[in-house]
Amino acid sequence: MTSDSILKANNLSKFFASGTSEVRAVNDVSLNIKRGEMVLIMGPSGSGKTTLLSMLGALLNPTSGDVVIDGTSISSMKDNELAALRAKKIGFIFQAFNLLEALNVEENILFPAQLNIGGIHAARNRLDILLDRLGLTARQYALPNTLSGGEKQRVAIGRALINQPAIVLADEPTGNLDSHKGQEVIMLLHDIARDDNCAVLMVTHDPRVEEIADRVLWLEDGAIRDRKSEQHSWIKDPVCGMRIDEWTATIGTEYKNHRYVFCSQRCLERFQSKPDKYLNNEK
Amino acid sequence: MIYWSIKTLLSEPTRLFISALAVSMSFLLVVFFSAVFEGESEQMVTYLRKMDADIWVMQKGVSNMHMASSMVWDWKVDKIASIPGVKAVSAILYLNGPLKIGGKDWFSYLMGISPKYKNTGPWDMAKGKALPEQGEVVIPEVVSQLTGVQIGDEITMVDRKLRVVGLTHGTFAMASSVVFVSHEDLGNLLHGRDQVSYIMVYANPGVSTQTLIQRIKDDVEKVNVLSSEDFIQSDWQLATQMGTEIIRMMTTIGTLLATLIVAFTSYSLVARKKQELAIAKALGFSNGQIYSAALCQSVVITGTGLLFTLLLSYTLLTWLPAMIPQLNLAVGLHQFIPIVVITLPVAVIASFIAARTVVKVDPMTVFSG
Repeated sequence: MTSDSILKANNLSKFFASGTSEVRAVNDVSLNIKRGEMVLIMGPSGSGKTTLLSMLGALLNPTSGDVVIDGTSISSMKDNELAALRAKKIGFIFQAFNLLEALNVEENILFPAQLNIGGIHAARNRLDILLDRLGLTARQYALPNTLSGGEKQRVAIGRALINQPAIVLADEPTGNLDSHKGQEVIMLLHDIARDDNCAVLMVTHDPRVEEIADRVLWLEDGAIRDRKSEQHSWIKDPVCGMRIDEWTATIGTEYKNHRYVFCSQRCLERFQSKPDKYLNNEK
Repeated sequence: MIYWSIKTLLSEPTRLFISALAVSMSFLLVVFFSAVFEGESEQMVTYLRKMDADIWVMQKGVSNMHMASSMVWDWKVDKIASIPGVKAVSAILYLNGPLKIGGKDWFSYLMGISPKYKNTGPWDMAKGKALPEQGEVVIPEVVSQLTGVQIGDEITMVDRKLRVVGLTHGTFAMASSVVFVSHEDLGNLLHGRDQVSYIMVYANPGVSTQTLIQRIKDDVEKVNVLSSEDFIQSDWQLATQMGTEIIRMMTTIGTLLATLIVAFTSYSLVARKKQELAIAKALGFSNGQIYSAALCQSVVITGTGLLFTLLLSYTLLTWLPAMIPQLNLAVGLHQFIPIVVITLPVAVIASFIAARTVVKVDPMTVFSG
């Protein structure tokens, strides 16, 4: 891990009007992320995590403050300049994968390459490396509707990395995956930060990531602070048995006056289909 | 983005096919009306073409057959025949008017023909005899098919009954069919048994038409003399003038329809792919690049529609007259020129609506899991 800063936020705030009042989604946040660093943003729902990620990703203009990406302040940039910056410097990974349905695996990964110098032709070699690294070589020509959730997220990771960005911003990348697939994706992102010297900033509720992250930033009521590692309330997912932080878990349900939380939507659905089966197993 | 737009279109071939077909239907409408109009106009000068005269002579001040009336003393036919350079002459009496056939009025070119004059038609008989005598009439076979009137049945010409003795090919037009009666019957009706309406002049080989026209003008008073080419052109122009506005209107309607269809298709494609456009925006594509993808889709839909129009025109429009005998269609490549010319503007205009949606797409929606 090198020590040079790749992403800086200086006193970043975002306020939204709500009727006659004002909602402070992000309030005076400053942070500094270095190359090769894997940083998590965690916090309760509605704490402003996605708003912060959007501003850091040059998708949303802050009300005040500044974002500096690879030494360049983006506050005075025009829309087209911001778009070009996103294409070259930032890779995005989303919870819902967001693949383009009509394009196959290879085409999806190459999609942003047309915005980079040399275009798709120049990105061919990197495509082969990524397909191999992501274990997608055999699925190179498959359409997204034939892929599993894990494969889809690996394609999304490939797309995020094709232009060799300085930063990867990941929004709940394991949110739609079961525990096994989620683990795979986390390790891939960890390797990306370590091997490619690329900063990975991840919004997540997945407590497993904490164990491999360099830093965890806790966002609450729009303000950010370092979170102490003992602030957990570990419980087990009743379906897969995975360890989950009850405080930060977002997927859950009430059953017989008791709240159960899950690592993924898939586990929740399994639980809802046969709750007693899983509760008996737990006992 | 262009590649994405084409792949997206091709990933839903049924939708593309239906959209292109709808576009082609509106284009086809334009071609169809143009073909009908041109076919009808052509039919209006068919008689003039079939007579194959070099020169037409008519009453002074008259320069048309369509919507016109001409009366010339019949002795002028002999006088013209005696002019040096004239190989042969022929003449007809003519009236533009309705006939009652099978209880319905049919606006017709009534040709009063006489065995005295050769080469006055009909030129293609379907059934019966070609030369009507007094009290007889030769009508188009299509009129017979549409009305059920057969040979031996009676029709009415103004105040007198005529018996159908022959059926002809190639003489029907929706606006005015060519009907042959005897010179005597039409002469009685017009109180002009010693007169003719139009004189057809055939020149000797080697004699120029212009020279002969000048000789006729010099020798025969109170007549207008036109080359066959000028006479046909004059009638053709009159016919087309009457329909130009209608054709322009139909072209405008067809174009508007095509634009609306392409615009709706482009808009619905963009609206359905909003999330993918948001992804593209988030990944760094500009509004201009995304708009170019929407424009590309419009161009592909309109272009495919144009291709369908060409294919359908040559199959449908050649097959239709066999099914609907009263249709006179003239299909030519020139009728597709306006369609080809408007294709790109239609695609561009249609994509404007999609462009508004593109600009409004919020890349932040990529975060809605």
